Amino acid sequence: MRIQVQFQSGVPVYLQIVQQVKSAAAGGTLRPGESLPSVRTLAEELRINRNTVARAYTELESDGVIETRQGSGCFLKANGESPLSKSVRQERLLAGIDALIVEAHHFGITDVELKRLLADRLTQNRSQSASH
Amino acid sequence: MSSPAISIDDLAYRYDRSEALHGLSLTVQPGECYGFFGRTGAGKTTTIKCLLNLLRPTRGAVRVFGMDPARQEAEVKARLAYVPDFVAFYPWMSVRDSLDYQASFRSHWNRDLERSLLEQLQLDPNLPTTGLSKGQRTQLALIGAIAAEPDLLVLDEPTSGLDPLVRREFIQTIIGAYQDAAPGQRTVFVSTHLITEFEGLIDRFTVVDQGRAVLTATADDARGRFRRIRAEFEGALPEDSEFRQARSIRRRGRTLELVVNGEGESLMEYLRTRGPASLEIESLTLEEIFLHTVQPGTTP
Repeated sequence: MRIQVQFQSGVPVYLQIVQQVKSAAAGGTLRPGESLPSVRTLAEELRINRNTVARAYTELESDGVIETRQGSGCFLKANGESPLSKSVRQERLLAGIDALIVEAHHFGITDVELKRLLADRLTQNRSQSASH
Repeated sequence: MSSPAISIDDLAYRYDRSEALHGLSLTVQPGECYGFFGRTGAGKTTTIKCLLNLLRPTRGAVRVFGMDPARQEAEVKARLAYVPDFVAFYPWMSVRDSLDYQASFRSHWNRDLERSLLEQLQLDPNLPTTGLSKGQRTQLALIGAIAAEPDLLVLDEPTSGLDPLVRREFIQTIIGAYQDAAPGQRTVFVSTHLITEFEGLIDRFTVVDQGRAVLTATADDARGRFRRIRAEFEGALPEDSEFRQARSIRRRGRTLELVVNGEGESLMEYLRTRGPASLEIESLTLEEIFLHTVQPGTTP
């Protein structure tokens, strides 16, 4: 997994890291038990502040995506170990879906097309993580 | 809650002929990497001198970890290290002597950190300080500041006079080494007009212009608000009067370039209704945000 940040995207830097780790985990490029780069390593590589990486990892940990093992770093957790209740998880997901619907509307994508795109994407992701 | 690392409230300072600061306020929380951006003469060094009790404020208050530098100068100086933009060393001392001399004033000194930084920056301890370049003098001063592991590091133009190619690498190394031992607790207050190399390092910043704070924001918020929108049209471009909320409007052939502070999304929505051939949005860099915030005048 290669993390990259773009200052000019307008997305907070820590959030870019959070999103990339989450999508790598969902897509199977980062697998359960696999380690993440240390705060220091990632900060140096991305040329960012250590605080920013630490903030991203803290958020990933509280979202139940990664776990910190004392002295040995951060690791991706196995699926379904989220400390958040199912309703909270669903609520967060719905916020993302709402944003997607608005965006699709702006791009002139119809509801039918959107459903098809979503279905295609799910199939693609499944086959990708299966091959990893 | 613990005291802020730095709190400056309505600070004014008047030199004999002119007022350098007119009511500047800012707060630096412990653990932050705080940028103090301004052109030469904006009042940055005057502010820092007030923090160090080198100048007494004409009005207002400064506090460092809750302490008044004028009354508790020794306690304040024990908790911070300051690197001025021009550093002087005793000419008879070598790099080694100079570091030992600085260490003699400190209750704590990290020899391992000192050694590793000398190696990383390839600074020979046996060199006489008179033989150092401007860049090496700054490096030596920074190694001294960091080896003391203070709670607060105050840097005044740490990269000016350095080769542009090494500036960024250098400041990353220094600030990274300082934060390493206690991330989230080591506070940096850095004054500079060379902002590009601090892009990823700054948590929060204040832009000072003509002695006043004209913008204070986190780097993420500022980049989220200050955006450049480029819209290309096949027909006639929309009128300037349609974009009252834009900070600047530029026309280049078929392309309209707008800079906004907030309201980027609503402007994008409006532009979509005008049927552009292409439409893009991106955040400004901290350097560009700085240039948009200060009054037009001489370049920094």
